[in-house]
Amino acid sequence: MRPEGTRTYLGDEARARETCVRRLSDLFAAWGYEPVELSALEPFDPAHPHADRAFKLVDKTGDVLMLRSEFTTALIRALLPEGLPAGPARFRYAGPLWLREAPSELGRLREFVQVGVELVGVSSPAADAELLELAWSALELAGVKDAVLELGLPSFVRDTLEAARLPQEATERLRRAVDKKAVPELAELLDAYGVGGRVREAVLALPDLYGGREILAEARQYALSERAKLDLEWLEAVLAQLPPGVRLAFDLGMARRYDYYSGLTFRAFAPSLGFPLLGGGRYDGAMVPFAAGFALGLERLLEAAGKAFRRREDRYLASSPELARRLRAEGKVALLAHARDEAEMREEARAVGARFVVLPGGTQEVEP
Amino acid sequence: MKGYGLTVALPKGRLLAEALATLRGAGLDLPAPDDERAMFFKKGDLALLLLRNADVPTYVDLGIADLGVVGKDNLVEAGRELYEPVDLGFGACRVSLIRQPGDQGPIRRLASKYPRIAELWLEQKGLSADVIKLHGNVELAALVGLADAVVDVVETGTTLKKAGLEEREVILKSSARLVVNKTALKLKAGRIRPLIERLRQGGRSSTR
Repeated sequence: MRPEGTRTYLGDEARARETCVRRLSDLFAAWGYEPVELSALEPFDPAHPHADRAFKLVDKTGDVLMLRSEFTTALIRALLPEGLPAGPARFRYAGPLWLREAPSELGRLREFVQVGVELVGVSSPAADAELLELAWSALELAGVKDAVLELGLPSFVRDTLEAARLPQEATERLRRAVDKKAVPELAELLDAYGVGGRVREAVLALPDLYGGREILAEARQYALSERAKLDLEWLEAVLAQLPPGVRLAFDLGMARRYDYYSGLTFRAFAPSLGFPLLGGGRYDGAMVPFAAGFALGLERLLEAAGKAFRRREDRYLASSPELARRLRAEGKVALLAHARDEAEMREEARAVGARFVVLPGGTQEVEP
Repeated sequence: MKGYGLTVALPKGRLLAEALATLRGAGLDLPAPDDERAMFFKKGDLALLLLRNADVPTYVDLGIADLGVVGKDNLVEAGRELYEPVDLGFGACRVSLIRQPGDQGPIRRLASKYPRIAELWLEQKGLSADVIKLHGNVELAALVGLADAVVDVVETGTTLKKAGLEEREVILKSSARLVVNKTALKLKAGRIRPLIERLRQGGRSSTR
């Protein structure tokens, strides 16, 4: 029996997956992102962001290992002993991840593939804009129809909540209510904590700060501190550097993991899918001084992608090894026939999905 | 769902009539679920799914439905990542800890149809007990000694008194919530955002 939340892929599906990963890798390579290969086995670390949800194994020494559950942490940890590069460094990765606790439902697997990049050693609006443009290019390459890149600014939520000057636990409860856009709970909590005035007004406004670009102007009136203002200015500077045509949306009430994400975060949505296709953001200071990146979920991307990865190159069924070699030299996909005569060859061509049969006398197209 | 402008998930049972009235009052022209055996209705580009209470969060989280109505009790129990922007106010009840009168012994076994809420309460109190999942008549478990206490819905408390049990602590106050799929809120903001605004202003009173 196949373990829950795992899949095997054959035929068209397997080919589409391979093509998708290859094209994305080519795209990232064209932007100067260098490949890395990371081990799937990691030492167990209770401080790892997925420590509770990762698959664990016991090593022969008795030490606990965990299966890779996230690329960013794995990559940064691999970089640290090598010493961080002085300037900007670009990395890309692709491979499977495992999460023990992820419910295996529609779009949520326990074994899944991510393809992504990290831009380390630089923190600037230009760096964020580079990642956003690259993420957008990846969605275009996949032919995702009507995709939207949604930008969030968890630091803005953090700075607004901190203006209430509450103990950490209270702030955390407010954060969770903001993230769920649970306005009734939020109002109740603010009452209970005795938060009033402009701070209350700003915190209550956070959940509804989503929509188009007009949201940024609205957010400015709720910027309570110098830091909150700087957060918004950074975002404006990023937007100024994006090429035209990138479809953007904003949610300044997005407050997931704001102790980890230091600046801009982003996700991509497609109308056909109830989940984000990609996610990323800036996490300066979380593990290294300056870093940001994003990852695409292969399974989700393929569900939303057009036919871009489904197409298969024409296949040629050749009657002899010599003919097959000649076709391959021309860059064609050539299979050697095992049939003994022409009629059998046509049968075989249909079975192996070849569009043409090639005999010494010439090439013939096969009716499907 | 594909092919529909908006898909709405509503719970069968005591919340249905008010949920329909409230959403219609806020301008959502929902079909009438007039066939008792059907689970799926459509009108224009709207689709309506009738589900068990506890299934509403699942359908909305996984993006089959864009939005839905569900009691806060079932929402907490589901533990899913949803937006819950409006308290619709109706369907008020509380989820409470219930024991036999005078029973002060330790709670070693706790029965509930809300095992997650029960676990969260135990964790919050720093207690540890085995949680037994039951599907109905939960009070019985406390009466016959299946469990030392139960966590269950209390609406008025009269049933409880009749059964000879005591409500010890209110764990959660519940009422119906509008829940919205995280992607749908963003991609269908043009329709869902105004709906949220109207529901917050008290839905039915602002019918146009």
